[in-house]
Amino acid sequence: MKKIQSMDRSLKTLLLLVAAVLLVMAIVAPGSYYGVDNLRSMIFQFPEYGIIAYGMMLAMLSGGIDLSLVGIANLVGIVAAKIMLGMGGSGASIALGCAAGILVGAACGLFNGFMIGYLRVPAMLVTLCGLQLFGGLGLAITTGPALNGLPEKFIQIANGSVGSIPIVLFIFLAVVAAMAFLTKCTVFGSHVLFMGSNAEASRYSGISILKVTLLTYMVSGILGGVSGLVIASHFGSAKSDYGSSYTLLSLLIAVLGGIHPDGGRGSVLGVTLSILLLQLISNAFSILQADTTLKTFVYGWLLIGSLAFTILMEKRAARRKGVRPAVLDKR
Amino acid sequence: MLPSGKRGGTVANTFLELRGIRKSFGGVDALKDVDLTINFGEVHCLAGENGSGKSTLIKVISGAHAADAGSIRIEGKTVGKFRPIDAIRRGIQVIYQDFAVFPNLTVMENIAMNRQLMTGARVVDWKKVRALALEAMERIGAHMDPELPVERLSVANKQLVAILRAIINDAKLLILDEPTTALTAREVEKLFSIVRTLRDRGMAIMIVNHKLDEIYEIADTLTILRNGAYVSSGNIREYDRRRFVHDLTGREIAQVQYRPSEVGEEVLRVEHLTRKGAFEDVSFTLRRGDVLGITGLLGSGRGEIGDALFGVQPADSGKIILNGKEIHIRYISDAMENNIAYVPEDRLTQGLFLDRSILDNTMAASLSAYFRGLSLDQQALRRDSEGWVEKIGVVAPSVDPPIRTLSGGNQQKVVIAKWLNTKPKLLVLNGPTVGVDVGAKADIHRILRDLAQEGVGIIVISDDLPELIDNCNRILVMRNGRLESEVAGDCDESRLADLLSGREASA
Amino acid sequence: MKKKSVSGILTSNQMILLYIIVVLCVLIGTRNQAFLSVSTAITLCRAMLVTLCFAVCEMLIIISGGIDVSFPAIACAALFIPIKIMTDADLDSVPLAFGMAILIGLIFGAFNALLIAHIQLPPLIATLGTSSIINGGLLVFFGSREISNLPDSVDAISKQYLFTYTAPTGFEYKLTILFLIPILLCVFVAVLLRYTMLGRGIYAVGGDANAARIAGFNVRRIRVFAYTFSGAVTGLAAMAYCILMRTANPKNLMGSEMMVIAAVVVGGTRITGGHGGVLGTILGVCLITLIQNNLIMLGVPTYWQKFVVGLVIVLGTSITSLRAKRIAQGPKV
Repeated sequence: MKKIQSMDRSLKTLLLLVAAVLLVMAIVAPGSYYGVDNLRSMIFQFPEYGIIAYGMMLAMLSGGIDLSLVGIANLVGIVAAKIMLGMGGSGASIALGCAAGILVGAACGLFNGFMIGYLRVPAMLVTLCGLQLFGGLGLAITTGPALNGLPEKFIQIANGSVGSIPIVLFIFLAVVAAMAFLTKCTVFGSHVLFMGSNAEASRYSGISILKVTLLTYMVSGILGGVSGLVIASHFGSAKSDYGSSYTLLSLLIAVLGGIHPDGGRGSVLGVTLSILLLQLISNAFSILQADTTLKTFVYGWLLIGSLAFTILMEKRAARRKGVRPAVLDKR
Repeated sequence: MLPSGKRGGTVANTFLELRGIRKSFGGVDALKDVDLTINFGEVHCLAGENGSGKSTLIKVISGAHAADAGSIRIEGKTVGKFRPIDAIRRGIQVIYQDFAVFPNLTVMENIAMNRQLMTGARVVDWKKVRALALEAMERIGAHMDPELPVERLSVANKQLVAILRAIINDAKLLILDEPTTALTAREVEKLFSIVRTLRDRGMAIMIVNHKLDEIYEIADTLTILRNGAYVSSGNIREYDRRRFVHDLTGREIAQVQYRPSEVGEEVLRVEHLTRKGAFEDVSFTLRRGDVLGITGLLGSGRGEIGDALFGVQPADSGKIILNGKEIHIRYISDAMENNIAYVPEDRLTQGLFLDRSILDNTMAASLSAYFRGLSLDQQALRRDSEGWVEKIGVVAPSVDPPIRTLSGGNQQKVVIAKWLNTKPKLLVLNGPTVGVDVGAKADIHRILRDLAQEGVGIIVISDDLPELIDNCNRILVMRNGRLESEVAGDCDESRLADLLSGREASA
Repeated sequence: MKKKSVSGILTSNQMILLYIIVVLCVLIGTRNQAFLSVSTAITLCRAMLVTLCFAVCEMLIIISGGIDVSFPAIACAALFIPIKIMTDADLDSVPLAFGMAILIGLIFGAFNALLIAHIQLPPLIATLGTSSIINGGLLVFFGSREISNLPDSVDAISKQYLFTYTAPTGFEYKLTILFLIPILLCVFVAVLLRYTMLGRGIYAVGGDANAARIAGFNVRRIRVFAYTFSGAVTGLAAMAYCILMRTANPKNLMGSEMMVIAAVVVGGTRITGGHGGVLGTILGVCLITLIQNNLIMLGVPTYWQKFVVGLVIVLGTSITSLRAKRIAQGPKV
């Protein structure tokens, strides 16, 4: 109990929202919502966008944003699929395809990082452009249609289970653990947070802005790549426009998870809870057989609502202290 | 035109009269019972240390803050509700430290903008804009290309644009907030000559400043604030240095000058260090026990030497020898590898992570040292941070609150602690006590002396001459990018001031 | 001192853009003789029509220091809802169609303004949210079925032309009357930006919002204007698009934001705000449209198109940013 009291307000809000969704569903559709089958189907869904959300989180923590993740994911899926198909779908080809895919993801991220850190183009523009560029490259490679006929073993990654636990859950948990370790326990993670708080002071504290920016977007790109492989495996094919709703979704997850849009503040725990919440909501929609477009509609409101809430609270707190809110200095 | 008054003239009539102004924020008094009188045709200096309420007072005068109590009379008439636009309509123009000019617009548009807004014009008459700009320049004999975008102007010229904008807007009272901080000596002289021109035409001028020399040079009358309260006011001639400092700080000046017990082996030697456009052929040595001062006017290259030693803007040529070993500094990382630490000039943007905890701020530069085994040693981080807070005398309940909540002096102590935690061999401080209250200032000076005795090389870059004289046993004087002379710490302040501006020949 | 130097004009952003366009045209012309003709100009104008309207709005917002990625969604709503209502209620009126489209655009623009100017959300995230709300809401509440039978009088506009050009081959090229919209819009915005205090205020806010506040600009009102005006114009352009395509599709325009932002940025508008102009934007749109429509003639397959547009923005932004960097670090006077 004490632990809950000492928690961040945004985490408390998230837990409250999770509880609310669970409660509503317990009333509306107890049978179909609270079943092992439904739980399993949820676990198969969230890793692919959850992993992207951690990439978004990292970029936002550093004071930037990464809108190119879906583009990277699809490009990686396509490169991996090309290699697997080209080499006949052997076990080695799968390994090579995945490895090459991750490398491509890292390279895309490095490109973003270079534009942002070295040329000082705003992250928003660079990654928006990256979405076009990487997605465009994917389109050029496939010339349009999906690459089908991926090896069965590869497809099993996102669709298979060990016992009754889906394999993707392990991948997701590995990513969560890695990100928690990265942000909490490593020098790099702390540097990202410092840079997000004040890039100039970071520089004067001996933190290399260029290096941290490059690494941030590289890691983010790698996460995009991992997600791309999961998506390709899930669909059993690769295409340049899969998961187009994930850009908004990952941004929503990050903002809802308490990642501050100005950078420097937020936690892996918040984002993880936020992924959980959104999967519960999304699943509730499918149980209630609501249109997916309704989901887009609701997500839009959630994004604006949660962000407006954060900023209005900040303004109120600042006004109480009689100082000009920090948000206003920047805008 | 307004009646013109003579310097310190008694006949000048009053423009602005504040009586018993009070203002508090969230229960904290920023201004308590402040009086202020400003006359036409005089330069009035508002002096006070940081946190004395100067900026709040300006905001009250400009209508940005409403006073909680007290009266404001402008040209004999009491004003009631007072918003920024009312202040502007009555002829009050403030030039803030950042000048509030538009970098993306041209000189002429910047100058004419406020006037057009005032008149409520909806369309832009470009011919008139140009004419206004040229007229404003004519009035004070300035020359600038009216078509040039302001982002391509030097700091001094940006300020000039701000001044031109104010005078074309029929300013009766011109308030300059710390106008000289970013100017070179020559630019300051030019600014002061413009200010005198405007004064002689009868304009009332208020300058916020705390630099003694400059105040004596330009002011006719003076008001001193301390901790939000009015201390004294009067003609500049009524103030000698002793009274001024006493009124400003509330203390007598009685400092023990620093003399190292012994000066040991060489810590740092710099030979022929040069960075084009900043400084040239600078050579000096620093021995164990030395607190070395570097001073000079703005633009003399004093700050740039600090930047070069820390790799922010590396030198082009020359040698740096630290503890007998030649080192090469191209980037900040090179400096850090060689245990060089740097307390930068602008604490708020370059030194602090305002929203982060004291713990984070003390550890920002030395995190790599805490990566043990597989992760950052959180306990050690906390232990060491708490250790520094105690050792260096930071007044804070714990290491967890954001550093934003601390006073300027405590913040600066944390910045120093951040660097001490890297176990520096050389600590360079650029303006170490700017915006620091008297008590914390003394603490910081004590820390520096102790460190020097322990064998850390200390370089203090500052334009605060009494600070240098009291704390440095040797002072280097820079002028126009060159090392002009070296004096011992017991140098007389006025002689040092002459050296800075190159007046020693005439003195 | 009074006149800008000739070399300054010749190396300005707009001129460089013009050179590139000319080189590109010559290049395409050598591949395809038929390219350099009046007919191409007419085709190009038609292709630029809607993009240009969107680009001018986006430029206005970017100059004011913001960004808007919601206009494709606004456009979809502004063209689909009126046609849907008119079809369902069996109405047929041109002013009603345009009036509703503009009103819908205005409302959503005002919603953006509320979020960005009043609540002060970051513009990118706010407009992404708006986009999602509008797009989702449109499909939920109005359905996703394309309406290919426009009301007759509305549809008739597509057959009114400014002028007709008959090619030597006998084929007729006609420039639609709707092309008046971007022309009038460009003139209006150019005058607004150059000769009104509101226009100068947009530059001022984008250059330094705080300075603008101190100078006495109503920063909030200026931002509100930028977003609502853009919303309304987006609505107008959307209806024009609908008539041009002779069908109302609630999804077609989605995803066009990248192209438009690309055109604006390539046209010399700095993404950080405060700089930019109508002429540059026109040239930017022209360049992007040329690339999009003629890649095939240069031997580049269509599926490379998305990538090439991305590449153009990368180059455009890199150059603009390097220029800005050079000015910031360059000698001051």
